[in-house]
Amino acid sequence: MSAPEMIDAKAQRSLTSRQMAMYRFTRNPAALIGALIVVSVVIAAIFAPWLAPSPESAGSFVDFRNRHMAPSWDNVMGTDNVGRDIFSRVLFGYRVSLGLVVGVLGVAVPLGVVLGLVAGYFGGWTETIVMRFTDIMLALPPLAMALAITAVLSPNLVNAMIAITLLWWTWHTRLIYRIVKAQMNEDYVEAAKLAGASHFHIMFRELLPNCISAIAVKISLDAGFVILFGASLSFLGLGIQPPTPDLGTMVATGAEYMPEMWWQAVMPGLAILYAILGFNLLGDGLRDMLDVEL
Amino acid sequence: MSEPLLDIRNLTIGFRAYGQYRRVLHDVSLSVGQGERVSLIGQSGSGKTVTMRTIIGTLPMPPGEVESGSIQYDRSSLLDLNKIERNKLKGTGISIVLQDPMLSFNPVLTIGRQMDDIVRYGDARLGQSRSRDARRRHIIDTLDKVQLSDGDRILDSYPMMLSGGMRQRVLIGMALLNKPRLLIADEPGTALDVTTQDEILALLNRLVAQEGLSLLLITHNLGVVREMADRIYVMDKGRIVEHGTREAIFNAPQDDYTKRLMAAVPPLYGPDVVTITNDKTAPKPAIAIEAVSKDFTSRSGIFNQHKTEHRAVDSVSINVAQGDIFGLAGESGSGKTTLAKMTLGLIDPTEGRIEIDGQDVGQTRGTADFRKLIQIVYQNPGSSLNPRRTITDQIAVPLKFTGHESTRIKTRVCELLEMVDLPADMANMYPHELSGGQKQRVAIARALSVNPRILVLDEPTSALDVLVQSTVIDLLHRLRAEFDLTYLFISHDLSLMRNFCNRVGVMLRGQIVEEGPVADVFGTPQHAYTRALLSAIPVTTDAAEALKPKVSKEERGAVLNRSTAIGG
Repeated sequence: MSAPEMIDAKAQRSLTSRQMAMYRFTRNPAALIGALIVVSVVIAAIFAPWLAPSPESAGSFVDFRNRHMAPSWDNVMGTDNVGRDIFSRVLFGYRVSLGLVVGVLGVAVPLGVVLGLVAGYFGGWTETIVMRFTDIMLALPPLAMALAITAVLSPNLVNAMIAITLLWWTWHTRLIYRIVKAQMNEDYVEAAKLAGASHFHIMFRELLPNCISAIAVKISLDAGFVILFGASLSFLGLGIQPPTPDLGTMVATGAEYMPEMWWQAVMPGLAILYAILGFNLLGDGLRDMLDVEL
Repeated sequence: MSEPLLDIRNLTIGFRAYGQYRRVLHDVSLSVGQGERVSLIGQSGSGKTVTMRTIIGTLPMPPGEVESGSIQYDRSSLLDLNKIERNKLKGTGISIVLQDPMLSFNPVLTIGRQMDDIVRYGDARLGQSRSRDARRRHIIDTLDKVQLSDGDRILDSYPMMLSGGMRQRVLIGMALLNKPRLLIADEPGTALDVTTQDEILALLNRLVAQEGLSLLLITHNLGVVREMADRIYVMDKGRIVEHGTREAIFNAPQDDYTKRLMAAVPPLYGPDVVTITNDKTAPKPAIAIEAVSKDFTSRSGIFNQHKTEHRAVDSVSINVAQGDIFGLAGESGSGKTTLAKMTLGLIDPTEGRIEIDGQDVGQTRGTADFRKLIQIVYQNPGSSLNPRRTITDQIAVPLKFTGHESTRIKTRVCELLEMVDLPADMANMYPHELSGGQKQRVAIARALSVNPRILVLDEPTSALDVLVQSTVIDLLHRLRAEFDLTYLFISHDLSLMRNFCNRVGVMLRGQIVEEGPVADVFGTPQHAYTRALLSAIPVTTDAAEALKPKVSKEERGAVLNRSTAIGG
């Protein structure tokens, strides 16, 4: 045992692991900033109707007198080609983005985790079938796949969600599979088997708790990527359709007025950057805090 | 005596972690004279590794901080030297042999490449250079010194191709490459089998005498110290509690801690040996193993077309009577764990049958009745307890699956904790909040939760310090008397077995070579392997040393794998 580990082990006796994790987290300014950003994005999304200076901009509202207005005190992010307040639309855009995140990860994570647990725990043919299928899914180029799916199913929010979900679970399966495989060598798994524990008990009571921190980190890192992926689909016109305010669609529409009316593309772009940065910083901070490898 | 080669004075070191400062070394003073063999003994966490790392300059700072004190090596102050001057001493002045012969190598480079690097960098630090051939000749000469005569083949091998004993020899050779004056050995040979460890210790002793080296040996094993030290320092909780000559420490220890340490080491021979008896007479044996064999098949080749059969257990027959503590002794790879797993019904025997309490394991395993009959305590509680579940949750698992009601479970868990002398408020803690000994008690409580009649103990104390070991052993004795238990005890620690078991079986390459009551097997060992094994154990008294069986070189050679040649 090397010296730093020895000291850690000693320190653990006086500090609880939660205290140590919090210590690591609070000593990490990036993680704190990330957490603040994520909280601000979530608040913006939930309270968009009350926070937005002009809530009607979220819909198919038109105000041609005020179109193409540069950022000012009245419209902090300017207005778009039909005179809607971009800031208000960004706030509502976060609603759509977070809805996408919850929808996608809410299905993909449990699915991926269960498949990973089953493959890693049972091994043999189960493992071969699940993991090879996962490999095949991973071999498909994700954006092309999502484009194909939404194109076939007609582009809208739900179909974009389905398309992303179908591709997303694979990463969780592989992550959990790898952790479970390593844990299977630990004696506690054999001890549980000898104690007569059911397969369900070993998978969900013994193995799953050892995967939780990795899942938490992966989810927070994923959230950013799901937002980005959704925005990419919308940008290509195959995601969320107007007039629903979506950050990707807004960038796409605004791009037509570049570079003179730059704010129409840049402001929603910055909003995407802000949210993704927040989730990534938070994810990195959680990773250091919970000490997991991905 | 002239001026010491290494002189540590009043060294105080602390660590800053998580915003807290804690001192790990308190006022440590220690000296090693020219050509002297000095041992630093202490339990894990006593600060001996921190001391070693400070000497060789690998203690990370921060978080480490030297508060006060000095380390003098050959008239220069190590703590004041700058990095370049200090690096010059590495390998050429002070050299180190690390504990784990596998982790100390880079697995993807040949031994030759790794040794050559050491010579090259050593030369570079001293401002000299030699040709590739000259370096290779020097390396082969050094390997010769550690009795590895097949130098050329070893240099072209990768670490995984060598046996543990050979790796440890190469490691010692590496430490000697740049002709150091002080050799620091951190638990040499503890990761190896006792017969190999014996060879390694003898080798170190010979090298120290031949090369005029000074030796600082860091260990927790008092038996090793007796064979390897002129002077001894005893360390406890970061303090040197006692130091003196070997004779003084072993014959008349002054400090209370040293006395407790000495008393906790199970004696192999001599008047202090405890002989356990089993005076129960039961008609049928608790465990009956009849001509059991186990083959493992490994496949190789692109299409797994090559099958190689390896016989791990070879027609073993044992009867363990009710109330016995049956010791299964043997070195790593002898098949003792495989035999235990078959007894528990975790793997099927290739041939033969095992009966527990008169019932065939093959038929009853997996049933609740079988689980109420036999349970296991593992070697390493760090692995056998789930790090993410509370103590209650873990102890409750066997109860839950033998049909206990959830209200009963809670009271039963408290009962069990009390049984193994743990406070009830530990019930809601997680394993990492407990010490090693406490964790092992939890593992014992879990095994006992469904009131089994037989416990398989798979080296239950080998991960524990000797003081903790004695308390766990006492607990196991008490539980056996209280609950009428039968133990199948697997270990490589024969000293412990002598005092803990009433019968032993010695395994060698899958076969039981000797079996019988402890007093007979240890008193008049019949098989050459048993004698070789017993004679290799480091003991703590001269009286015990004299009582150890003698074994001739030829006998040893016939039963043991040599650690000096490839494929030997």
